Amino acid sequence: MHYLTFTLFALTFTWFMATASSRRRVLAVAVAGILVSTLLIAPPVAEAQGGIVQGIQAVLSAINGVIHNALNAINTVRTEISYLYQSVIWPMQLINQARALVTQMINQYRSLMAGILGMNLRSATLPNPQALEAVIRDHQVNNFSTLTQSYGTTYGAIPTAADASQADRDMSDMDDAFALDSLKTLKISDNATDLELQVANAIEDSASQAAPGSAPLVTASAVASNIRSQAITQKMLAAELRQEAAHIAHQNGLRKRGATFSTQMRGLMINLLQHN
Amino acid sequence: MKSFREPLNKAKFWMLGHKARTAALVFVLIVTAPWPAKGQFLDPCCALMTAGLSSISSALQNVIGGGLNQIYSVDQGTQQFQQNVVWPLKLINQARALVGGLEGIFTQIYSLTHMRVNSATLPNSQQLEVNLLSRNANLIGQTSPNFTALYGQIPMTTDASPQVRDMIDMTDAISQDAMKRAIEIDALSDLELQAASQINQSVQNAAPGSAPIIEAQADAWLVRANAYTQAATADLMRLRAIDLANSSADIKMGATNTTNLRQQLMNLLQHN
Repeated sequence: MHYLTFTLFALTFTWFMATASSRRRVLAVAVAGILVSTLLIAPPVAEAQGGIVQGIQAVLSAINGVIHNALNAINTVRTEISYLYQSVIWPMQLINQARALVTQMINQYRSLMAGILGMNLRSATLPNPQALEAVIRDHQVNNFSTLTQSYGTTYGAIPTAADASQADRDMSDMDDAFALDSLKTLKISDNATDLELQVANAIEDSASQAAPGSAPLVTASAVASNIRSQAITQKMLAAELRQEAAHIAHQNGLRKRGATFSTQMRGLMINLLQHN
Repeated sequence: MKSFREPLNKAKFWMLGHKARTAALVFVLIVTAPWPAKGQFLDPCCALMTAGLSSISSALQNVIGGGLNQIYSVDQGTQQFQQNVVWPLKLINQARALVGGLEGIFTQIYSLTHMRVNSATLPNSQQLEVNLLSRNANLIGQTSPNFTALYGQIPMTTDASPQVRDMIDMTDAISQDAMKRAIEIDALSDLELQAASQINQSVQNAAPGSAPIIEAQADAWLVRANAYTQAATADLMRLRAIDLANSSADIKMGATNTTNLRQQLMNLLQHN
């Protein structure tokens, strides 16, 4: 930029000097050239050396003072955070200890508890009850027809229309139906319990190898399994509700029929006394 | 060459003819000509600047560079610790795979809960059973008519005392309430199984940082499920309470009936 200005000035000044027609004009052009060159074209005055030294000292002071202190402070905080992570929040020793605890508890309890749950509880002594007991405790869900058959063999069939009133036959059928519904629901829940135990084992195995960061995934899945388990419990409870409700409805049905029979008996006795 | 020589000769004659102008021109141009910058060698100003810049460079390398290196070293250690110990990708993917594997078992459980368990054989009992096992809360309105068709109506005022009629009505009511609650609980547990499946699927796509949010939602569902279980348990307890109350009422009415019978027998004997 400075060279361009100088070139323009030089060309203009030379042209004016060459075309000046008198000595006075030459003098005027020379004076004007000197003034313009001094005021506008000449390079700016350099700064004194003392200013540079002070500037460098100021920069060094900033580096050694403010910046050095700030970096030290950041380093201290980060070192403390690292220590907090490694020694307080996620100490490797305690993580490994927790994993070892899970493994140790698996070894200590899993087989023991499976053995207790798998013990043979069957107690029937006669053939029909034995068959029924076997089918209601086998955890299978593909033999409901066998269950119905064994139940019928043990508890008998509903009386024929010639042997009992329709009300008695209906109530008996309903009682049998609720009993069978509950027994089938229990076979389903037994099977579901086996599956839930598989889930629990898988979650526990996973916990024995989990990291603090992967554990929340395992925990969330365990909670979801817990909801399912609760849903199965509710299904069992619903079956129990139906069963108990049918039980007191049956007793109440007998009460209603007792009232009817009493009325009929009273009528018969009045008729009998009137005839005598 | 001639084309250059001719203007030069002209300029030469002009300068010889105008010595004063030429001197002024040369002076002004020399004064205003830009001079090259001074080199860094053999110049006291540049030597000072060199020493200063060298100090700054040294300070930058030692103080700032050293400090940043220390911070980098700590950060690198923290990063490695978090990647290898706290959030190792391999174990995170392993946990996701476990959740995916469990989904298969959950599907089996869901199928189990939808197996048919209907067992009644006669029309009235079949109708009630279908209603009770429907899992459809919209069919609760049909429960009372089906119940009455099977278990009969409350005796007429001519057939039973007010106490007996009250007892029968209360027992029927509690029994029907429980049956209706059973339908509700079946419907609710179906929805819980669906929700649990959705939660499990979302866990498969979760990050360690988002999993606690899903877990919180699952916990809320668990609390809700416990509340439903409690509601069902409450109805079961009501059933048993009414059963107990009926047993007690039977004793009370038996005592009253015995007293009445004794009085009537005494009256009969006195008349004879």
